[in-house]
Amino acid sequence: MAWFKEWLNPSLLVLSNGKIVQPKRSPSVIIVPTLIFLVLASAVITEVDLWVLLKRGYQFFVIIGRMIPPDWAYTSTVLKPLIATIMISIIGTLLGAFLSLPLAFLSAENIIKNKWILNINRGFFSIFRTLPVLVYALIFRFVFGPGAFAGTLAIALFTWTIMTKMMYELIETVDMGPFEAIESSGATRLRAFWTAVIPQILGQYISMILYNFEMNVRSAAILGYVGAGGIGMLMNEKLALREYDRLGLILLFLLLTVYAIESTSRLIRERLN
Amino acid sequence: MSEKILLKYKQAPKTWILNWAIVLSLIFVVYLSLPYIEYNGIFEQGSKIALNIVKGIFKPNLALLVDFSSKDAVPYLMLETVAIAFLGTLFGAILAIPLAFLASRNIVSKPVTHSTTFLIAMIRTLPAFVYGLMFIRVTGPGPFTGVLTLGVSSIGMIAKLYVEFIEDLDKGIIEALDASGCNTIQKIRYGVIPQLMGNFVSTTLYRFEINVKNATILGLIGAGGIGGPIMFALGGYRWNDLGALLIGLVVIVLLIEAMSVRLRKKLATGQ
Amino acid sequence: MIQFINVKKTYPGNVHALKGVSFTIEPGDFVAIIGLSGAGKSTLLRSINQMHTITEGQLLVNGLDVTQLRGKDLRHFRRNIGMVFQSFNLVKRTTVIKNVLAARVADMPLWKSLLGLYTKDDKIKALEALDQVGILEKAYVRADQLSGGQQQRVALARCLAQNPQIILADEPVASLDPLTSQTVMEDFVRINQSLGITVIANMHHVDIATKYAKRIIGIKAGEIVFDGPSSSLTHDDLTKVYGRELSKDEIKGDA
Repeated sequence: MAWFKEWLNPSLLVLSNGKIVQPKRSPSVIIVPTLIFLVLASAVITEVDLWVLLKRGYQFFVIIGRMIPPDWAYTSTVLKPLIATIMISIIGTLLGAFLSLPLAFLSAENIIKNKWILNINRGFFSIFRTLPVLVYALIFRFVFGPGAFAGTLAIALFTWTIMTKMMYELIETVDMGPFEAIESSGATRLRAFWTAVIPQILGQYISMILYNFEMNVRSAAILGYVGAGGIGMLMNEKLALREYDRLGLILLFLLLTVYAIESTSRLIRERLN
Repeated sequence: MSEKILLKYKQAPKTWILNWAIVLSLIFVVYLSLPYIEYNGIFEQGSKIALNIVKGIFKPNLALLVDFSSKDAVPYLMLETVAIAFLGTLFGAILAIPLAFLASRNIVSKPVTHSTTFLIAMIRTLPAFVYGLMFIRVTGPGPFTGVLTLGVSSIGMIAKLYVEFIEDLDKGIIEALDASGCNTIQKIRYGVIPQLMGNFVSTTLYRFEINVKNATILGLIGAGGIGGPIMFALGGYRWNDLGALLIGLVVIVLLIEAMSVRLRKKLATGQ
Repeated sequence: MIQFINVKKTYPGNVHALKGVSFTIEPGDFVAIIGLSGAGKSTLLRSINQMHTITEGQLLVNGLDVTQLRGKDLRHFRRNIGMVFQSFNLVKRTTVIKNVLAARVADMPLWKSLLGLYTKDDKIKALEALDQVGILEKAYVRADQLSGGQQQRVALARCLAQNPQIILADEPVASLDPLTSQTVMEDFVRINQSLGITVIANMHHVDIATKYAKRIIGIKAGEIVFDGPSSSLTHDDLTKVYGRELSKDEIKGDA
């Protein structure tokens, strides 16, 4: 127990030449108990039930087991929603990315000098950024009815909020020298921005679009669950019907699609740099 | 104008061809996609609903918003959501450690890293949502399922980031310890762990932020947290409740983000 | 013709960057402005094209009171003035010719400038400008592949593509090695003499200033302490400008 006391309250050290040093208490004294408390509190709040997990945990693997081999015959039914999912992502991402540029321009410290406009813009986006894409999908589904349109809008909105932040952070790191040069030659700020700043960020912009596209394909799959188009609806159906082999097929396709997109995206991003 | 200028002019590389090709193919792809996105026009109800939602946000159900005693009110739901994210992230972070080491090229042999990386990629590709649907079949609805789901789904991304840090390990420090006569455990304790600790915690915090949002999504399928009530409020046309819930959601996420940013900065720069 | 009449520039916090400077620059002059860092050189130079504003006094360019210019008129005025910077300020990732063409952007209709649709005429003029500074062969090379001296010449070409009457140069050779500095300064001289463009340059290195410029203006703490032909610059005058004796290598600007 001596080490415990020492950890809690480190004692003075006396050096051979007589100097006295008071070691500082390690931050772990605060961190460890806090962590333990948080874990226990969370466990209670989330009704952690390890017993159930032990008893029924194997079910998870049963499901996985039944997913392999997948039901190959189901492929034709899966394709259309899958393509819809991809399309929703493409259009949603492009729309969101396209709209994010002007807003990013308006939120960048080195372009806009007016603190009010700057902070209102950023605050506005912070708030919208907190809502997960599914919440938007739900709301849009209620407004526009079920279907891919709601999903596309949701993705567009979500991408818009994310990309604006990423873009204005990027714009702020840009070298303003060329911008100054073009402005001094008599061009408006807008043109100077376009000619001097955009070429510097274009590569990263495309990179970000691809990254968001990857993420959105995964989300688009989920959107179907709330009836906003895509493959999610099918997935939930199959789960409910316990047609795990068909679910396995859907997941397999999803996996392949995401993998294909990721690889292509990585290739393109490497070429850009 | 002189001959050589004209000559140089003609030498211009024909980049415009590539640019036009890209733009045209993009337009083509978008054109192909449009039929999949049928615009049914706004439901006559639609615009009314949108208006109601906005009204609900500006006039939230205050009782729901500030009732700290009820389990169905916003504060407890926020707490529950955060707890789910916290435990889930912790769970995933711990499980990710061995997996990450098994995927690092400077720790194990190539075939092992390849198969582990593949495994990690597979785990990562499945959306958390799908894990949720699966876990509900196992542990039933409720926040615990949320924890498990977030745990498993986080492993992928966390492990991937961990691997990057492990592969970046500065061998020099370990060499120095070796030279001063430390055994393997000491080398790990004093050489490896200090280097990795900060980054691991940073990664975990980052994932925690994301998981708070994921926890909400999982709520929509019944895995606890503020997501479920949001869906019910929406479906039941209880706009003021929805407003209160959305406000609660925005507040938690903003708070967690702010805290996470500060903590991560502290980890990175020591202030 | 550029006229400074008792020009003052005070920054908030009572920092007096310029304390009442007056002088006139005739068309075709080649003036070098020397002085310590922070003496007011940059403020002086940039007030000519109103990149910095002045707080008092009159600044006339060809009879026009530039402090009153706003918006479209200001931009129109700036079209006639080219500016060269110490850090070249090229868009590094694009080609040399695209950088020079950027000078034409201010004149083009908005939609054309956004899409980068330069006319054949524009492109020929850009190539001619590049030829005038002797780097025509690098026209289609990416800007960051060039050496410092070459980049500065591209910047100079960019100015020339504007057909300016005046070129302002803010420490144009401070980032270049002595040999390259000479080449660039020779370009300035050539442009000044053959095209009659007024050149006003802020310079660090006194010997380069006196070697190439016809006239020197020395600034110290916001006031002009020397204004005369470069040939008449004495050792004592330098002490006045820099506030102390300069050692040999400071004059040569080697370090």
